[in-house]
Amino acid sequence: MICKSLNFKLFCFLLLFPFLQVHAEGDIKVGKALFKANCAQCHNKNMKDDLTGPALGGVQERWEGRDEVLYSWIRNSQAVIASGDEYAVNLYNKWNKSVMNPFTNLKDDEIASILAYVSCMDDGSCAPQKVATTGGGDNTAAGAGGAVNNNMLYMVLALILGLLALILARTIANLNYLKLVKEGNAPASRGTLADILTSKGVIGFLVFSLIVFAGYTTVNNAVDLNRQQGYAPEQPINFSHATHAGIQKIDCQYCHDGARRSKHSVIPAANTCMNCHVAIEKGSKFGTAEITKIYASVGYDPNSKTYIEDIENVKSDSIKAVYTKWIETQYRKTNSIEEGTELKKSAQRVITAEWDGIVSSLTNDLKKELYGPIPWVRIHNLPDHAYFSHAQHVSIGEVECQTCHGPVEKMDLVYQYSPLSMGWCINCHRETEVKFDGNEYYESYENFHKEIKDKTREGVTVEEIGGLECQKCHY
Amino acid sequence: MKNQLDNWVGISDKNNEPEVQELAQSEFVGLPIAETLSSESLGEKVTANRRDFLKYLGFGVGAAAIASCETPVRRAIPYVSKPDTIVPGVASYYASTFVSGGDACPILVKTREGRPIKIEGNPMSKMTGGGTSARAQASVLSLYDVNRFKSASTSADGAFTASTWEAIDKAMAANLSAGSNIRILCNTVMSPTTKKVFAEFQAAYPNTKVVTYDPVSCSAMLQANEANFGMKVVPNYHFDKAQTIVSFGADFLGTWISPVEFAKDYIKNRKIKDASHAKMSWHVQVESGMSMTGSNADNRIMIRPSEQGVAIAALLSALGGGGNGSGLNAKAAAAMATVANELKASQGKALVISNSNNKAEQIMINKINNILGSYGNTIDFGSYSMQRQGIDSEAQALLAEMESGSVDALLVWNANPVYDLPNGGAFAKAMAKVKTRVSFAGSNDETTALCNYSTPTNHFLESWGDVEAKKGSFSLVQPTITPLFDTRQGETSLLTWAKSAVTDYYDYLKASWATMAGSAGFLSGSSFWDEAVHNGVYDAGTSSSVPAFTDASGGSITTPNTSGVEIQFYESIGIGSGIYANNPWLQELPDPVMRTTWGNYLAVPIKWDEAAGRFKGYNGSGTKTVKGIADLMNVTLKGEAQKYSVVPQFGQADSTASIAVGYGRSVVGRAGSGIGNNVYPWMQIDSDGNTQYWAKGAEISGIVGEDEKFPCVQYHHTFGVTGEYDGETVNVDEVDIVPVGKGYQGAITDRSIVYHDTVGNIDGLVAKIKKKRDFANHLNSKTLYPYDEYTAELYSQGHHWGMHIDLNACIGCGACTVSCMAENNVPVVGAGEVSRHHEMTWLRIDRYYYGEAENPNVIYQPVMCQHCDNAPCENVCPVNATNHSSEGLNQMAYNRCVGTRYCANNCPFKVRRFNWLDFTTADLFGANQNSINGEEPAYYADNLTRMVLNPDVTVRSRGVIEKCSFCVQRIQQGKLTAKAEGRRLKDADVKTACQTACTVGAITFGDMNNHKGEMYKATESPLVYRMLEEVNVQSSVYYQAKVNNKKEFKNA
Repeated sequence: MICKSLNFKLFCFLLLFPFLQVHAEGDIKVGKALFKANCAQCHNKNMKDDLTGPALGGVQERWEGRDEVLYSWIRNSQAVIASGDEYAVNLYNKWNKSVMNPFTNLKDDEIASILAYVSCMDDGSCAPQKVATTGGGDNTAAGAGGAVNNNMLYMVLALILGLLALILARTIANLNYLKLVKEGNAPASRGTLADILTSKGVIGFLVFSLIVFAGYTTVNNAVDLNRQQGYAPEQPINFSHATHAGIQKIDCQYCHDGARRSKHSVIPAANTCMNCHVAIEKGSKFGTAEITKIYASVGYDPNSKTYIEDIENVKSDSIKAVYTKWIETQYRKTNSIEEGTELKKSAQRVITAEWDGIVSSLTNDLKKELYGPIPWVRIHNLPDHAYFSHAQHVSIGEVECQTCHGPVEKMDLVYQYSPLSMGWCINCHRETEVKFDGNEYYESYENFHKEIKDKTREGVTVEEIGGLECQKCHY
Repeated sequence: MKNQLDNWVGISDKNNEPEVQELAQSEFVGLPIAETLSSESLGEKVTANRRDFLKYLGFGVGAAAIASCETPVRRAIPYVSKPDTIVPGVASYYASTFVSGGDACPILVKTREGRPIKIEGNPMSKMTGGGTSARAQASVLSLYDVNRFKSASTSADGAFTASTWEAIDKAMAANLSAGSNIRILCNTVMSPTTKKVFAEFQAAYPNTKVVTYDPVSCSAMLQANEANFGMKVVPNYHFDKAQTIVSFGADFLGTWISPVEFAKDYIKNRKIKDASHAKMSWHVQVESGMSMTGSNADNRIMIRPSEQGVAIAALLSALGGGGNGSGLNAKAAAAMATVANELKASQGKALVISNSNNKAEQIMINKINNILGSYGNTIDFGSYSMQRQGIDSEAQALLAEMESGSVDALLVWNANPVYDLPNGGAFAKAMAKVKTRVSFAGSNDETTALCNYSTPTNHFLESWGDVEAKKGSFSLVQPTITPLFDTRQGETSLLTWAKSAVTDYYDYLKASWATMAGSAGFLSGSSFWDEAVHNGVYDAGTSSSVPAFTDASGGSITTPNTSGVEIQFYESIGIGSGIYANNPWLQELPDPVMRTTWGNYLAVPIKWDEAAGRFKGYNGSGTKTVKGIADLMNVTLKGEAQKYSVVPQFGQADSTASIAVGYGRSVVGRAGSGIGNNVYPWMQIDSDGNTQYWAKGAEISGIVGEDEKFPCVQYHHTFGVTGEYDGETVNVDEVDIVPVGKGYQGAITDRSIVYHDTVGNIDGLVAKIKKKRDFANHLNSKTLYPYDEYTAELYSQGHHWGMHIDLNACIGCGACTVSCMAENNVPVVGAGEVSRHHEMTWLRIDRYYYGEAENPNVIYQPVMCQHCDNAPCENVCPVNATNHSSEGLNQMAYNRCVGTRYCANNCPFKVRRFNWLDFTTADLFGANQNSINGEEPAYYADNLTRMVLNPDVTVRSRGVIEKCSFCVQRIQQGKLTAKAEGRRLKDADVKTACQTACTVGAITFGDMNNHKGEMYKATESPLVYRMLEEVNVQSSVYYQAKVNNKKEFKNA
């Protein structure tokens, strides 16, 4: 274990090393900060893919070194267009006349810093963030593996100790016997190990242990029936919370908007995904394979950037054409294959496989069409007779999502972190203090308030205001 | 008349029969297993022996093991594009209007994930003030009726062939021509825009006439008002301004014209706000059978149905307005003198109404009101009512036209004449002579079955529309779900066939409303429209006006009968004229007075034999009622015999019987078919063409058999009433058990269940309650474990939930019962199960009689779990499935319950219900869903019906106990709202389902620890008591005693 974690630290250090190097150069560091603050909303930070704005990689080359014009474009693009600069006008038209925000406050050296950061990200001299993610993934795997090894270690140790004890016992017995022989009162026959093992005492003890063990296991397993701690089903879309909540730091409640106001946290509708994915068309891990599923479910045509009209009556063949065309276009772009050239068979297989994946994830016995809700697999299932309100816990109790759902921001595939058993609920209600301060509602608990004032009480737990009673959850 | 007992619930009880005593002690009557095994016919079916048992056991264990191996994969299906307004898990409310014929109620529709699950009243409505009726509450279930038409269809000989709307439109274009004689037949239409659509259709087809009739009509009143005031309308009645109310047969709290509005107004002068200055209006009901309104009256005057005319005439003559009241029975005639004096004394504050469908009688009513100065005070023509517009003779004229063969096309719009016309049979025959017969009905009925085109309209929860229930008070109907089936709004169909420029009804309606915007002071039509849709109601404001009264005479009043049996037909609270017959919630809602469910029954009078101290004559089915058995009798009228289960009814006039209309539907869905008999064919039509809701010359046979599944909840879940014994007031349950040791708890104690007195003696009542409560507290303090000492800390902070029920306000309408069923997923069990005491309602309304046995007064007492702070049910649960919360709730954890039913046995209030069968098909194992006695599948078995279930409340499976939870899901939601807003909890945050449904505000719920809240204030009245306070259960439900304003009539 120790060596493992040491190794890991070293590994991380090595990973971070390029960053440390980069920090030495002032302008790129400043450029990175400025880029994040001003540009990242619209421009992809890998500098290679288009977002709301074009990919910035090679921007200076495209402006043919006309840095002055480029600088004034960055400060106020509309002025450059108004001046009639040919490249600027073409660019504006190419991007459907979407206006770039003006940044009149940026100084020349600041713009230079940003451009330096852009080119360093583009040519790869600044390390991309992908590797760090892998590191995080390794961490989890190592942790989980360590736990298993630990048990094995204990078992081996126990075995060795047991064996030692046996040898020692045998040695002591032999020595005792030798002593008796020496003293001349040795018994006629010596009890063998088999005699001891088949003695009533030992058999009785073994049977007793077996019954206790079997009973314990049965009860424990019976209690766990229908509980699904650790349940991690495959989902129709390889949606990664690690990417969205971990790396992108999107607030949980941006998508799960029911949590603050409803009993349900609410699985977001596909149109919530489209808020961002109308711009982010390719994923970092799966490219078009997963994000296209969103488009297919809401009926969005990424080729023309429009929603397909009257989708319910569009034939499935033409729907297939839309999305295979999109996948192909993106495939060509990634692999720098020009439009019009024949695709290799292997490439066509990739495209077909991707399409088949989309169809199989979005359809089932009840839902034949791609268009329609995404059939997510429900992970957290409470029994029907248990009432749970997210709003009570999130908005009033101010409980962090992670308290019950675990480190979701690190999960590529979500699993059920907590047992969701009644004992688990009850235990938390015993330990958690109510947020008495600042909520006038709780003023009706006059005695508690008085005790807190008199310093005879520190806080009030959920249990003390009736949080363990049946009809707080069962009605 | 000597009072034998102080309060009683029925004959067996009044006779103090041993079976009733036994019943009051045993929670479970007729256990199904024992019943099954003892029943010979069923015994043959029960073939399971030991071997089978072992086989099933083996299979069961194996199946359970296999089932537990793999957890099924569940999907989480999100929206593709989530609508902004919908948050899964959060309910949205939309303002709309419940409308069905002449019934209208502005409502808020609660939807979850896009499906309507609950109806609440719209508090912005000035008409109802947020109240609802049982029918409005139940209407959400009819949306998910499995019998609804799935598409337009053509039909021949009652068999439907699915068609498309294009094909139907084409066929209509071919069948309807400008010259066609078209008749649109409808019940009252209150929508101004629908009427516009009719007019546009008439413009396209000039020979179109709209014929309006109502199954239970105010036809004669419309005619009388036309004669006296020149206005063929029902005026607006102000019950809140009336101090003396005399009703001749009008069930204005239950079914007459606008009961929700009337009940809200009526109760304003009935509630006791301050016991030291108590004042009440005086309400006299003159009727034959006991109606719900009659049961709430201070005094009832019993007459035969044929005497109604002379009774009105007697009052008119006593007021000096002429009229000949001879022929009225002596007792009633004497009472009329007192009534007249009282009416005179409250000149300008009096109101006299009648349900009579005789024009001459209604003209006399108008005269009486004119003498009393009611017009302009308690009656107003400015904001007249649109709720009854039908003229009976118009339907008869149409029938004659059809018989002559001059009608080319009949469009049946929201009407069922084949079933509910007195001569429905003739109508059915005449329909054959009409070439094109179109029905707009949403599901099949007797008339639709004879049509050749079915063009089903949307359910009102899927529709756009508007309602003008009273002149100037508008409300909007807004869809809350996309049409479940391929149905089309009726107005769109008519506009399409009329080749209108605008066929989309939403656009049409909006345009129609835009014309109102200017007069409403809005700048633009769209802002006016948005506000109207949001509020659901719009009050245009009308000034009160009364046209000049012109004396008129017309027709003659009914000649009273002196011999033979007369039958009175009445509309029931739930089923109404028959249009709600397929709603199982309403079928299972007990009739407030008779306490019967699932059918119409023959109510016959009771005669008390002074000398014998018992009832004489037909003495009821006796103790058989207790076992769910009733006697059957044949009733013969017009040569047609019908068999009825008989209910002996207190307050039923001599030689009369009462039967409810609306039952005996032949073409209807599962819930309504084969339930009761149709009495419409027994009705007569008078010389003005008006249908008479009574019949003379009925022959009632002797007992001809037994109804073995008599679903009457009369003796179900009773818990003992007080009576006289050796000059002492005692608990009739216990008099035989403990005949000695007076005054000890659990022995002969006068249990506190209901208290009542007259308003004149309210001080005595206050003193009595105080004495009883002090005594109860004294008893409760003599315990080894003094309650107060042990619980001083318990509810000293946080919440302590409590409920207050004003028995003076409760009119017994049952809206709360249905609201509770909808909110809490309470199952429907069906007639057979009800007869076995297995009804599941969490909230029952007990009905007690007091006073004279022949003509008693009534108390309604809603009883739900009392959430005892010292609960006897909690102590006996072996698995602690029921226990107490720190907020005073008696909690029930269904998944912990193993079904020992000890708790139900130990509950003194009998409010716990056991799931004998898998009523909601919640059980995971299909084998458990079979019913042991071969009953039909449960009402919630269909996935469509299950869409009405409240997702926040557990659906209980077989074998567990359930009971009122004080709507804990609403409590938790209310607390969450307060926490989220960072403020203390307000009364408005938590309102139980029964409370919001109540029109009269009889139920108050809240936190008793909040000393500024309504609940705390309500408990401070000296009229407040707790049920069975002396048994030290420390219940959390407080009742306010019943006070009436009964006056003595001078003897003749």
